[in-house]
Amino acid sequence: MNFLIEFFGAGLAEYNEWDIQWAPDNSEAIIAILGVSVPLALWFFWTSLSRIPSRLKKVLLFSLRVSTFLLLGLLLLKPQLELKKSHSQKNSIAVLLDGSKSMSIKTFPTEEKRIDLVRETLQANKDYFAGLKKDFSVDTFFISDHIEPASDVDRHYQARMPNTDYSKVFADLKKHYEKKPLAGVFLFTDGADLTQSSGDPSSSLVEILAGFKSPVHTFQAGTNESFKDLSIQSLDVPDFGFVHQPIHLTVSLYASSMGNKNIPLVLKEGKNILISKMVEIRKDQASYKVDLQFTPRDLGKRVYSLSVPLFAGESIASNNRRHFQVKVIRDRTRILHLNGRPSWDSRYLREVLVSNPKVDLLSFFILRTLSDDVAAPTSELSLIPFPSNLLFNDYLNSFDLVIFQNFRFESFIDKNLLSNIKSYVQGGGAFLMIGGELSFQGGGYDRTPIEDILPVTMQRGRKIFSSEEFRPVVEKNLQHHPILRLEKKDAFNQKTWQSLPLLNGLNLGLTAKPESHVLVGYKKKGSLVPVLAVAKMGKGRTAVLATDSSWNWNFRRVGEGGSGRYYEKFWNNVIGWMTNAPETRLLRLESDKERYKDGEEVLVRFNVLKEDYTPASGEKVNLTLIKVSGESEKHVLESDQNGDGVFQFLPDQEGFYAVQIELNRKGDRISDKISFGVFGETAEFDRPLVNASLLKNIAGITGGQYVILDGPKDLSDYRFENPEVMVQTKRKTFSLWDNWWSYGLLVGFLMIDWWARRKSGLS
Amino acid sequence: MTLPIIKYRGGDYRPRPEAVRSLMAQLARRTSIEVNREPIEIALTDPNLYHYPFIYLAGNAGFEPFSPKELRILRHYLGFGGFLLIDDNSSKIHSEFDASVRNLISQLFSKIPLQKIPRDHSIYRSFYLINRAAGRVILNPFLEGISIKGRTVLVYSTNDLGGAWSKNKLGHWNYDIVAGSSKQRQGSIRLGVNIVMYSLTLDYKKDMVHLPIILERLRRYHSK
Repeated sequence: MNFLIEFFGAGLAEYNEWDIQWAPDNSEAIIAILGVSVPLALWFFWTSLSRIPSRLKKVLLFSLRVSTFLLLGLLLLKPQLELKKSHSQKNSIAVLLDGSKSMSIKTFPTEEKRIDLVRETLQANKDYFAGLKKDFSVDTFFISDHIEPASDVDRHYQARMPNTDYSKVFADLKKHYEKKPLAGVFLFTDGADLTQSSGDPSSSLVEILAGFKSPVHTFQAGTNESFKDLSIQSLDVPDFGFVHQPIHLTVSLYASSMGNKNIPLVLKEGKNILISKMVEIRKDQASYKVDLQFTPRDLGKRVYSLSVPLFAGESIASNNRRHFQVKVIRDRTRILHLNGRPSWDSRYLREVLVSNPKVDLLSFFILRTLSDDVAAPTSELSLIPFPSNLLFNDYLNSFDLVIFQNFRFESFIDKNLLSNIKSYVQGGGAFLMIGGELSFQGGGYDRTPIEDILPVTMQRGRKIFSSEEFRPVVEKNLQHHPILRLEKKDAFNQKTWQSLPLLNGLNLGLTAKPESHVLVGYKKKGSLVPVLAVAKMGKGRTAVLATDSSWNWNFRRVGEGGSGRYYEKFWNNVIGWMTNAPETRLLRLESDKERYKDGEEVLVRFNVLKEDYTPASGEKVNLTLIKVSGESEKHVLESDQNGDGVFQFLPDQEGFYAVQIELNRKGDRISDKISFGVFGETAEFDRPLVNASLLKNIAGITGGQYVILDGPKDLSDYRFENPEVMVQTKRKTFSLWDNWWSYGLLVGFLMIDWWARRKSGLS
Repeated sequence: MTLPIIKYRGGDYRPRPEAVRSLMAQLARRTSIEVNREPIEIALTDPNLYHYPFIYLAGNAGFEPFSPKELRILRHYLGFGGFLLIDDNSSKIHSEFDASVRNLISQLFSKIPLQKIPRDHSIYRSFYLINRAAGRVILNPFLEGISIKGRTVLVYSTNDLGGAWSKNKLGHWNYDIVAGSSKQRQGSIRLGVNIVMYSLTLDYKKDMVHLPIILERLRRYHSK
């Protein structure tokens, strides 16, 4: 064999074993065929040699033929020489240490943490493990929902992993020891596997465990004895809700060894308490379901926290509090539309508002005034009293936009209530006055709180309304304003505005306030008379449309061969801007996620637009990061050529953060603010009880033992089988048939056979 | 609010010359609607037709069928926001005017038949609470109409509404009420007011804020 090894050029020292491999899968069939056909062929051949008198020649020819057949058979069986190097290997012992968060739970009466019970046992058996290492390879792993090789256990063993899943752990372990002999497993854990519904292991876990030929000894860290805990076990709350509409949530509470007491369940937004509800805890009842309802008042991503009190001696403190986020959106834009008299202008606007599925419209038409003689008793009229007190005292804040269209307030709204509208706008509401003879000075609004909030001032004593036709002109510098965007492309948009029918009916004597923007005007003697002007007032927005003929852009345009599309678009733009739709804001701030995990980096993006709604490049904005502790951090950032910018930071603790961005532009302060929460995973504390039954089952299935760790345990009685295992580390194969000399030999035999037969006078 | 009278060929398109002026006067007296009392006459082919979203077609005799162009214009006008009130002033059932109107409507909307306007339609409660259609002569105690996408665009009365409305400049009624009393005339005026009010406010009176009061009043009204 050494000769062969030398012959094939393999270094002798590298291998300590050899073998011959017969390659074909059906080698037995080949041998059987050869076993029958070769003797038959040889018999025929021997009889064909009867004419040769020389016995020596006969034997020579027959030997040649036999050799040829043997070589052919060898080629068909495709033999290979396999050289191997093997050595004996130690059996392995796996020590699995549960590093999930539930291991930090205290056990009673010692009040020791579960993880500390494991640490004590490991410490007490240091010599045992050292002794084990002489005969076995002892591998230690931290486990949670995967295995992680552990080094320096004393330093690195922590209860910090967010989840426990034994199925994944044992699947990983099986894979790890696929090529290594595993003699046994020590599993130190509390059995609190969230994926196992009860004490019986799931079928997938049973299947994996059944594949283990070595015992798994389970060591239960802690017990459920005197386990004291009050927890918010689960929370059923929608991801989004509507502003001013109640949101319902169902809370599941769990109480163990809490006795009889009444506890408050408190819902907060930031530091503000939204609801507090008393829950009656009874010692003979563990689970409680509580229904809560709250009404969000502000739009955006809102972070709420729900908490129950933390009592002395509770095993887990962190599950007494839960955070959740709800995206608060407008279900529909609520609009109050007051019309001083029925007109085509009010009718077509109402049609647009009613047909917009995002609008919830409440409209009132003043169908008669006190001077009108209806010639019928009230019971024969469909008219209802105008509920001015309800609208302007009680429910004003429930509207996103209030429209006065050609409406004179006297006789319908007490003058004192006008100041409510002013407060409503300054607090974030929107107010639009549409023209007509009963608007502005004609409606008696000059020198009232309404004049204070409108983008225009009113002059008396002049002609206040003109019925003449006029062409409105779009202010070029503000053509990117979202209200004016009837078409996306600038040139087309401009052309569209120019193509709209003329208007007739203009409120005069109005002068734009310095802080307002005149988007559309009427050129008269070189100056621009405001037709459409907008302004921000406090936190709200106001606008005036000083004409009662915008319906011309609908019906008259239809008569000119167009459609009412642009009229509809214009009004939807007005509603969008007035109600502060996101796409109409000059400064926008957003975070990349709604909720961050502990240790995750936060990315905040902002976008700045100029007053004319073009991107503000190179604009400096002040960003304030308000941390959990209340301390704030200020940064000055600059927007890029698209008006965009980013801010990243790594939160240093769990809790609520807020980012505020602002810029001062010509005395106008523009700002936006977002808030978000950074929270660690708490799933481990949802079902924190020790699962003894599961651990018993795991040990039972694998032939291991189940032990409760209530203090340092002596493991010296644990012995493992240690059979010798040879492991092949190197292997090389050489073909004994697929080479030049085997084919050469075959051809050589056949040629000699042919030559000898010719010499002997055979054909 | 201007109420143009539609001019057409054949027949008399203005058999009650004071009808529109009288209705406008009633609207001005009874409601807050700002009216232009002077009636104007307009052809469907007039380029200013779309300055007036409400038009009035009246007559007492058969008229020539509308040309395809006129039909196209009228169909477009009604389909995109206009309103047409047709008033048969003949005081006859199955009149020639009625035949011409039905022929016109079938040509105008071949797939939408003229239907009775139901009692709970906003026309009957847009200003006054009305429980039946009136006129100078009540041939049919109902109105008929065509609705497109939930909006009634055409209303047809066979009861000579214009005759009941008409008042001369001295303030006397131009035509007597047939087999009825002044209540019937008042009912006709109220219906006229309601039709105009409907064209200006559409289904406003079906808003939830009005419904409880209106239903309660209707309950009492009908129980009388």
